[in-house]
Amino acid sequence: MRRKKLGLVGIVAGLAVVATLTVALTAGAGTQAGYKIYFLPKTTTIPVFTQNGIGAKLAAKSLGDTVTYNGPTTVSGTAQVPFINAAIQQGFNAIVISTSDPNAVAPALKRAAAKGIKVISYDGDTAPSSRVIFVAPTSNSLIGASQVESIGKQIGYKGQIAILSATPTSPNQNTWIKFMKATLKLPKYKNMQLVTTVYGNDDPTDSAKATQGLIQAYPDLKGIIAPTTVGIQAAAQELQQEGKCGTIKLTGLGLPNDMRKYVKAGCAGAFALWNESDLGYLATQVAHNVLTGKLTGAIGQSFVAGKLGKRTVVVSDGNKPVVVLGPPLVFTPQNIDKYHF
Amino acid sequence: MIGASKRTSAQELAAATFRLREIGIAAALGLAIVFFSIRASHFLTVGNWQNILQNVSIVVVVAVGEMVVVLTRNIDLSVGSIVGLSAYLTAATFVHHHGYPILFVALIAVGIGVGLGLVNGLLVAVGRIPSIIATLATLAIYRGIDVQITGGENITAYQLPNRFLKLASTKPAGVPTLAWIALAVALLGAAVLRWAPWARDFYAIGSNPEAARFAGIPTTRRLITAFVISGGLAGLGGFLFAARFPTVDAVAAKGFELDVITAVVIGGVNVFGGSGSVLGVVLGALFVATIQDGFLLLRISEFWRLFFNGFAIVVAVTLNALLTRRLQDALRRRKADVLEARHREAEA
Amino acid sequence: MSQAARRLLARWESILVLAIIGAGIWSTTLSPFFLKRGNLLDLVTPYVFIGLMAFGLTFVVIAGEIDISVVSMLAVSVVCFAQIFDAGVNVWLAGLAALAVATALGLGNGVLVGLLNLPSLAITLGTLAAYGGLAFVVLGGEGVASFPNGYTQIGGGYLWRNQLPVALLVLLGFALLLGLLLHATRFGRYVFTIGSNREAARFSGVPVARIRVSVFALSGLMAGIGGVVYVGYFGSARADAGTGSLLDVVTAVVLGGVDIFGGAGSMLGVLLALILVAELRNGMQLANIAGETQDIVIGALLLAAIVAGNLLRAAQADGALSGRLRPRRREVVEHEAADSALPPSLET
Repeated sequence: MRRKKLGLVGIVAGLAVVATLTVALTAGAGTQAGYKIYFLPKTTTIPVFTQNGIGAKLAAKSLGDTVTYNGPTTVSGTAQVPFINAAIQQGFNAIVISTSDPNAVAPALKRAAAKGIKVISYDGDTAPSSRVIFVAPTSNSLIGASQVESIGKQIGYKGQIAILSATPTSPNQNTWIKFMKATLKLPKYKNMQLVTTVYGNDDPTDSAKATQGLIQAYPDLKGIIAPTTVGIQAAAQELQQEGKCGTIKLTGLGLPNDMRKYVKAGCAGAFALWNESDLGYLATQVAHNVLTGKLTGAIGQSFVAGKLGKRTVVVSDGNKPVVVLGPPLVFTPQNIDKYHF
Repeated sequence: MIGASKRTSAQELAAATFRLREIGIAAALGLAIVFFSIRASHFLTVGNWQNILQNVSIVVVVAVGEMVVVLTRNIDLSVGSIVGLSAYLTAATFVHHHGYPILFVALIAVGIGVGLGLVNGLLVAVGRIPSIIATLATLAIYRGIDVQITGGENITAYQLPNRFLKLASTKPAGVPTLAWIALAVALLGAAVLRWAPWARDFYAIGSNPEAARFAGIPTTRRLITAFVISGGLAGLGGFLFAARFPTVDAVAAKGFELDVITAVVIGGVNVFGGSGSVLGVVLGALFVATIQDGFLLLRISEFWRLFFNGFAIVVAVTLNALLTRRLQDALRRRKADVLEARHREAEA
Repeated sequence: MSQAARRLLARWESILVLAIIGAGIWSTTLSPFFLKRGNLLDLVTPYVFIGLMAFGLTFVVIAGEIDISVVSMLAVSVVCFAQIFDAGVNVWLAGLAALAVATALGLGNGVLVGLLNLPSLAITLGTLAAYGGLAFVVLGGEGVASFPNGYTQIGGGYLWRNQLPVALLVLLGFALLLGLLLHATRFGRYVFTIGSNREAARFSGVPVARIRVSVFALSGLMAGIGGVVYVGYFGSARADAGTGSLLDVVTAVVLGGVDIFGGAGSMLGVLLALILVAELRNGMQLANIAGETQDIVIGALLLAAIVAGNLLRAAQADGALSGRLRPRRREVVEHEAADSALPPSLET
């Protein structure tokens, strides 16, 4: 009997130890200064978002604000909700968010706004009514057109192509796809057909499987557009694994470090992206200026975004109000060694 | 005299069960192949079958381990998390020690799996926690540890040595390397279950745990062994997973346990324990992979494929249970006949 | 301390209350934001749908079975609701339709397990996958989100000067309703009896099959209600709704003192356990701890709950504690159904 009672006490003690250890090892400490900004990416497991976070913290430091970078470990709008709730409870001044599912986060963001928190979206836009300003990496129509041109050039403007996207609800993905389809209607691309769009859910394994599925289901496939950094890397790896490099061409949005090996092996041609760290930097600058009242979301207002210079709030591709980072960077086999991110 | 005939008839019955189950799955597989050959172009190509074999390999490796656990009337839901954790640690090892021999890293992966499986075994056999609960908890705990260790960083394919990645792209004699490895594991597993004296205890424990204990079988030790085997093979599965999907993140192999258990259940392994064969598991895994492939070629929405997995489990469990009940009744009747015959002999 | 007071203290529910207070203290050390009134009142709101599933599952477990398909039935409820509403049907009617679908799915489980006597773990594992896939077939990968304000009030609205969450009232209301059903009706008594000893219940004239089918249907209904609340809270419907919440649902039931082998448990315990889980998660979330890392704590809690239950049961057998906890049962009659043909080597 004594043994069993001890056992019970032991369990409770053990549990307390497990819990405390878990927390001690994982909880982050915070020091407060200036504005408190909560930086909430789609997920923390994809490298581009880590880059965003680095830029955000740089901006915060130069502005005297504090940035807390946190997010779910899966790409899911509903998974972001607890973080929004935490931001509300912890009394943050602003939330900078990139989401993969605008609908899932809308109610929570409305709650935040009701408590006086300023919401700024970037990369993956939320519902326009639930944020003050959207920070776009580049013009969406430009992405759509240039991606189609990039694959077209590689396949000789003739043949079947497919799109490997991220999640079906992702707003930026859907906008780019819309512009890609519009571009394909131009006479220059009349011999190219878009056979399907598959979804890799921003997950490396799913993206690899989706690519394999494409290769199997469409034996005449000539090119793949993968406007997702996770997708393009997985597709390149899959093409290499299946020995299809060169037979099926690849373009998309990707990180130069990830893609260098494949570009040199001929598994991918030119692809594009932008400076992800700068994107986080800009978004934080915008948040700060919204908090100071300098930016209210009215079109035409401008401000100085630290090291990035003067920026103006505009209307872009039907999005408004938007602050745009700039034109995309194009990586080719010739220039890829110059970039290291 | 009577004993001999009783043995023969029970033997026949058991053998009949064996044949019936495997024949059933083989027939289903055959039908699926015929169906897709007719309906889908490119189904019967070498390239397509290489794909199928490639996709089925990791499932087979882990399913052999899961099968051992299910034989004992338990279940191991944590294999997906073990695969994920092992895959990440495999990749991390290669990133930090590019020069390590492949076999050495494979052993590390198996070792990790063994350790995690050991925890499962202790929870179930010593902690007396029902395996469904224990492995549901470790599924979450191991995945949480995985997320902690990765710290939100992926390991990207370009960081891994080429000779490791080659495991997933080479095809000696036209068959993918991963498939050869899976075949070796299956053969080894079948051999152990057939000839290792302690392996037969798994069947006994699954058939009737109380009787097994009374018969002197060290059930605690055997149960722990079963989970260790399951964990170890899941660890190996993680190693292979990292070769096949070399960009490893914290959620790698999430949900993989469902694929594994589907293969085991469709493969005719009795969910109440006590019977099942490696051949059945391999056939079951092939069946699922063939259907998935066929759906893909027919461009059927992947959502139907998800539904199909679950539906197949329900059908397989139902058929298996009905089959088992029929055979039990037959066995009971034979026992009754034998007893009656004995009585008559005694009276005579 | 008086005998009566000692007995009260030793009840599982009292231990839970102490744990809730203890967890509150722990959470306060994690984050100063925990003790704010707004936070405390809102503590349970994101977990109400989990609580509703747990309430339904409680009936199934007390009856001696398990139902792990609840999260998938919730998902189907969510997507059916979205699609029907999208088709132009009035939002309340669409909600009712979703409930009907979920109940039908539960009924499906009930027929297979309750009528055909198939093993509940394997079957609900299959339906977990099948119903989950079905959710995707119905809605695809998209999301729907344009629900009228009145409707989202159920999951996300506030009463009384914007402080008291409607969801909390929903949770308490169902806890009360189902608690009465379980503890104060003949139906509830039958459920306990069947869980304790199915054969004895049958001999006593309890309509065993009907009750068993009913508890699964109830589980489906509660999952459906959970789905409706889920949509109200998130304001959006997706086919992967509820994925990953199985751990919390099972933990709430087990931690709530429901005997995993059936025959004992209380609705109050499950409610308290849910509050405890919500409290812990809330505290950890405020300390910016990742979801999967939180899972480590919850998983450990689940394991501890079972082991504690085992120990308490053993202690009670020694006569040292009071309460409704019973000594551990032996293998029950239904497992005889699992006996299958032994391999020939074991026949004597």
